[in-house]
Amino acid sequence: MDNVCEDEVFSNLFSTHSKTVYNYIYYKFGNEEKAYDAVQEAFIKLWENCAKVIPEKAKSYVYTVANNLYLNVIKAEKVRLKYAKPTYEISHESPEFLLEEKEYQAKLDAALNRLPESQRATFLLNRIDGKKYAEIAEMEGVSVKAIEKRMHLALKSLREEIHGI
Amino acid sequence: MQENYLAKWLANELTEEELELFKKSPEYESYVKLKKASASLKAPDFDSSRVLRAVEARKDKKETKVISIAKHPKLYRYAAAIVILVATSYFYISTLDDKVSTQYAEREQVVLPDQSEIILNADSEISYSKKDWSRKRKIALEGEAFFKVAKGKKFTVHTSQGQVAVLGTQFNVENRKDFFEVSCYEGLVQVSYKGEKIELPAGSSLVVINGSITHTEVPKNASPSWLLNESTFKSIPLLYVLDELERQYDLEISTQNIDLNQAFTGSFSNTSLNLALQSISTPYQIAYSLEGNKVLFYAESATK
Repeated sequence: MDNVCEDEVFSNLFSTHSKTVYNYIYYKFGNEEKAYDAVQEAFIKLWENCAKVIPEKAKSYVYTVANNLYLNVIKAEKVRLKYAKPTYEISHESPEFLLEEKEYQAKLDAALNRLPESQRATFLLNRIDGKKYAEIAEMEGVSVKAIEKRMHLALKSLREEIHGI
Repeated sequence: MQENYLAKWLANELTEEELELFKKSPEYESYVKLKKASASLKAPDFDSSRVLRAVEARKDKKETKVISIAKHPKLYRYAAAIVILVATSYFYISTLDDKVSTQYAEREQVVLPDQSEIILNADSEISYSKKDWSRKRKIALEGEAFFKVAKGKKFTVHTSQGQVAVLGTQFNVENRKDFFEVSCYEGLVQVSYKGEKIELPAGSSLVVINGSITHTEVPKNASPSWLLNESTFKSIPLLYVLDELERQYDLEISTQNIDLNQAFTGSFSNTSLNLALQSISTPYQIAYSLEGNKVLFYAESATK
């Protein structure tokens, strides 16, 4: 009989979800400190209510707590993301290509920051954390279709922003 | 093209025809580029140990509340004595593979690796881990037991209805069908029931019948009466009193025209069956018949 109050169950939940909760809040608000606070708050609340939250619901519980913490309270700041180094040897690429890449990344950054918070969070949870639409829907407490809509709109606006349409 | 096709495309959910159509569109290349570029994005580094420390600190703070009182010298000398009774529904913790159980009309005494003692009442079972005992003092209980806990780390009793936690203490836990009782005779124990944490000081008792909680008193510095071969009840529905009588004497009890919800206050002997039957029948002015191990309680007026 699994119970969130069991140390083992709790630490499993922590190691599986803490990073994604952190990312989720960061994608929305672009503030690392606030993202740390949100993860901390979410897992403390989970521990305090461990007897009431069944393990299957613990995941959406921590996302909800983290999300509610800043609901309508703070304004999103600039989200700063890093880019993984390409695997090929950089020197083999022409300076023009590298410059183009840099420009493209700058445009993508700007475009991402202009997206509504919920679209940005959905897009990045999928692209960076590899979350399926169904998983994101569970975190956000909305339908899969709503997430697909966000994703579609996010892709559309990103392309338009980047290409200046 | 279907609704939200860009999302479908990214998740490889477009049909072949749709994909072909999309590939021919002028914007296709720019979406491929976007897909590729966004795949190399990375989130800021996350230091999980920083959060874990903060969470652990808060967890500990909650738990020390009980410890600090239990460290009070007077309480620390003995700790608590509780009785817990819970439903027969089975409660199991996977790592607890050492089991001790009693049948009807049986009683058993168990000495744990740290010299803590447990006395099991009739039709009860405990499971624990002998191997891990020094690391985790955890017992799963079905039925009823009295605990004399040696000083040391937190000691918890897990039942299907609630948890009882204590530090260096003596207590009794009873866990039976629809019935959960914890009585603290010495020290202080903490009962977790349905997410609620209730602290029971010495001399108090908590009874949960069909989900409703009542608090009653028990004598301080005593031990549960069943250890002295007597079963005692305070405003407990007759139904549970008869269940206990069945367990103590290995009986099959049936009733006729008797309201099993009426409260019983009193005790019966666990050594003399006739005395026990009278202890129950006399206050209610009901009659009984005994044949072999079958007992029938009936309202006197209703039979003739």
